[in-house]
Amino acid sequence: MFGLRGRMNVRLASLAGIFALAGLMLVARVAYIQLVNDAQYKAEANNEHYGQQVVRAPRGAILDRNGYPLATTVDAYDVYINRADWKGDAAAQKGAALIAPAIGQQPADLIAAVRQQPTGLYLAYSGLAFDKGTALEQTNAPGLRLAQTTVRSYPEGDLASNLLGFVGRDHTGLTGIEHDFDKELGGVPGTIYFERDSIGNRLSLGSERVGQKPQPGGNIRLTIDRYIQRLVENELDAQIAKTGARGGTIIVMDPRTGAILAMASRPTFKLTQLNLSNPDQALFRNRAVTDVYEPGSVFKLITTSAAIDLGLVTPNSTYNDTGTALVNGVAIHNWDFSANGITSVAQILKKSLNTGAVWMSGLIGPDRFYQYAQRFGFGQATGVGLGGEPSGLLHTNHDANWSPVDLATSSYGQGIAATPLQVITAVSAIVNGGKLMRPYVVEQQDTPRGSRWTQPHVVRQAITAETAAQVADMMHQVIDAPEDSLARIAGWQAGGKTGTTTRVTLPGEGISDGTIASFVGFAPLRNPQMVMLIKLDYANDQLGGIVAAPVFHDLAPSILNYLGIRPDNPAQVSSAP
Amino acid sequence: MAALHRPALPAPRTFGRRVSGRTMLVGAALLAVTAATLQVNQFSRATSASYTIDTLAQERALKQAQNHELEGEVARLASLGRVEWDARARLGLVPAQRTVYLTVNQPVPQGQSLPLRYQQQAAAPSAAGKAAGHPPFWKRLLKLIPFF
Repeated sequence: MFGLRGRMNVRLASLAGIFALAGLMLVARVAYIQLVNDAQYKAEANNEHYGQQVVRAPRGAILDRNGYPLATTVDAYDVYINRADWKGDAAAQKGAALIAPAIGQQPADLIAAVRQQPTGLYLAYSGLAFDKGTALEQTNAPGLRLAQTTVRSYPEGDLASNLLGFVGRDHTGLTGIEHDFDKELGGVPGTIYFERDSIGNRLSLGSERVGQKPQPGGNIRLTIDRYIQRLVENELDAQIAKTGARGGTIIVMDPRTGAILAMASRPTFKLTQLNLSNPDQALFRNRAVTDVYEPGSVFKLITTSAAIDLGLVTPNSTYNDTGTALVNGVAIHNWDFSANGITSVAQILKKSLNTGAVWMSGLIGPDRFYQYAQRFGFGQATGVGLGGEPSGLLHTNHDANWSPVDLATSSYGQGIAATPLQVITAVSAIVNGGKLMRPYVVEQQDTPRGSRWTQPHVVRQAITAETAAQVADMMHQVIDAPEDSLARIAGWQAGGKTGTTTRVTLPGEGISDGTIASFVGFAPLRNPQMVMLIKLDYANDQLGGIVAAPVFHDLAPSILNYLGIRPDNPAQVSSAP
Repeated sequence: MAALHRPALPAPRTFGRRVSGRTMLVGAALLAVTAATLQVNQFSRATSASYTIDTLAQERALKQAQNHELEGEVARLASLGRVEWDARARLGLVPAQRTVYLTVNQPVPQGQSLPLRYQQQAAAPSAAGKAAGHPPFWKRLLKLIPFF
């Protein structure tokens, strides 16, 4: 039936069919690639063709309460040298002669450093000032590569180092406010896509597009006042140098709001000469917030407040001070081993009598005593919003191994551990009509949705306003009545209380025992606007009334003047002619 | 058979001369060249505009960086350390030994000017105070619910 012609037609038809099928398969494959799964292939092609670079967002500034920058970000350059360009001596010498002076190095040293390896980029300097970098760029020095970057700048120098903290090389906050508010300050990094060649190098004439614009970080405004902070730091340094203290802390707080006006701790580090490889990492701690100590006699204010608030005593109530209080067979003496006979509650604070505090704690009883301690915020973190804040230690009658001796020693501040911030917050409650405020350091945070403001927050009414006024009056007598009081300030009526505790060395602390001398004071007596806590750490025996009280005497008038608070003594004020 | 006299139908109307194939080819070619020229021109303008935008963006970044540097310089010069140094070294001032308080009938002087990006921060509290007095609409709605 089929002849030669028929067999040829079948072969041709088969061949045509194969080609048609192959063509169809190609078309189907192209359709699959371009229509069905196009997104994936497009992304893969882009990934191959485009490189991605993360663009760091400008970091927000940290401002003091008046808007002055304490830490801000400025543009700068990282200076690199392409080693391959310095293979020849002439090029290396020419390049080094131009670059080395700009980065504060000797040309010969720079050449030697660059030639330690044959290829690659050598980072000669990080964070060169923007104007110097721009000038360097104009020189067209051989091998010079400049990369734009940003550096943290501290216009006020090393002020408030412990509180501000610092950022790492990647501009991530590592300690302090920089760390605690890293998300707000850091912003959101952006991305840039650029064309690259087959081995991933950027094409010099290739296109570039912005994937996501970096969102700048918001500014953080603190409650810290740079002027008061500077006064406080200078005075703290001077007193440490004068009295040979190992360290210390001063906090200044507005008792009406809980806003921290100044917070300084020593030892500290220098922000402007930051050494991240310093083995003593403890330098970076904000000890005012992170470290606990026994508040000592300052705690008698809490014991007295509780006793008066419960109606157990009045400032004029008396007890017979024999110089010793026996509790469960343990003899407790006054700090100066004195016996004062019939003594009033006001004199207990004035003379800082341990036996008087023990007497009042006996009247109060353990349940109510610890309840009042907790009402003043002891044994719980203040919620100031700074990292590393402990809750302190309050060993109550509900804990194991508690004994009545613990109650007795707690009444004068031994056996209780609290941070300086907890102590000043508790005392601020007394001078603020009994209202315990939550302390805060950050007043305002900028966010992409606007600014967030911290509102003063009343945690609780710790004691009644009447009790608070009575205790504040007794605090006034503490520094006003004794003729030799080193805390008294000219012009204003003020109040205060001294504290001295023996420092107990904890295992592994590596320092010897000593004393912690402290003083907490406030002014003016009516409508107090400033509370100050001074705590000094000594290797030897020192008294709070001798070494810490004078700091209040020196600092308080300057701060009150700065805050524009008129002196209480009208004789010191006269009208302008 | 009767023959009907029918007038001859008029010839179909023509509009001008018939366009030859060659003319159409030339027209198409001209159209293509014009379109191509326009596209090249447009592409060239877009490229030029893109270059201008890039240049201006770089210039803006440079100015911003210079602005930040100047702001940093202002902040450094306004720092307390610098002010004290100037007071001591240039003006020969010393810390006050005695303080005299005078009441004066004059307003408090204005504070020192801050760089703009910090000034905006400083001016914000009054606005925030206003905002604090007016809660958002959903809070006002919630307040309409009894006993909420």
